[in-house]
Amino acid sequence: MASKIRQEMPPEGGYKEVQWKRVMPKAHWSGYRTFLAFAAINGAAWFAYKWQMAYEAKRRLDENDARVALTPLLQAERDRMFLRQMRKNRDEEVAVMKDVPGWKVGTLWGEPIFHNLAERFPVVMGEEIYMHSRKADLEDRFYERRRH
Amino acid sequence: MPFTEEEWLPTLDELEVDEINMSSAPLKAGAHYFGKYCEKDCKEYMLCSSEEKDPRKCLKYGKRVTRCAINLYTQIRENCAEEFTKYWQCIDHADVNMNLSWCQATQAIFDQCMKEKLNFERPKLGYLSKTKVLDSSRPRPQRNLPLPDPVPELPDSADLPASETSDKRKFGRATGTFWNVLW
Repeated sequence: MASKIRQEMPPEGGYKEVQWKRVMPKAHWSGYRTFLAFAAINGAAWFAYKWQMAYEAKRRLDENDARVALTPLLQAERDRMFLRQMRKNRDEEVAVMKDVPGWKVGTLWGEPIFHNLAERFPVVMGEEIYMHSRKADLEDRFYERRRH
Repeated sequence: MPFTEEEWLPTLDELEVDEINMSSAPLKAGAHYFGKYCEKDCKEYMLCSSEEKDPRKCLKYGKRVTRCAINLYTQIRENCAEEFTKYWQCIDHADVNMNLSWCQATQAIFDQCMKEKLNFERPKLGYLSKTKVLDSSRPRPQRNLPLPDPVPELPDSADLPASETSDKRKFGRATGTFWNVLW
């Protein structure tokens, strides 16, 4: 059987032309329109930003009102708690050191702790407040390990 | 112990008052009304505490603040319990900061109730943050600070003898530096 050789030929009408020319992207927007869009978007964003800032300022002012109102109440309670603890600590020290000769409560063997000629209220360290409690309680409080 | 036995500290009985037994959410829910209702007491206490800087001297004013707060929150509980509970529970579940802006719907209902039943007006936005002048009857704190003797006046410089070196070397070289020693 005679083999029929079929020669591969170019398609009808010839090959497509080779594209050798550089293809430039089509410019959809002119420069003016681009700048206009930039201005419009940024202008809208500016108004949105201002609106947001005004809202945030109002919100913060309201929060600040609540905080300012509650401060005296919480501070008064805290002052009483602090003085109560100081009283307890001093009574405890009087009871603990009553048998030690020469010990004066609130001083180190008679030497005052603070140089306080004007008799200001001393700044009391946190360790003084938790003096007679367990060390774990002190650390809980100082390093906020307490569950809350 | 920072206090000696001679220094006065209030006894435990003197410090015993009815404390306000509420958590932060209901306190914050009624904070604006509290700030308006107890304004005089709060201002008096804060003035005392900032002037005296001594919690022992402001105990009386602090007790007044707490009593006023208990008075107000009792009134709220008796008149607007349901609205108030809804409002503070909304605040409690709003976000970690208990942001008031999430709860404006429940707040409006609560405000309405407060106005109708107790005739309490919610203060305007920013009213409590304003700085106000308080006309207080409490005397100003007097502090007797022992000061050292004043420095005696210097003699008149015209009477002093002229310095020997002043006209010889107009600009004295700094002494004691490394380069100076090397030189």
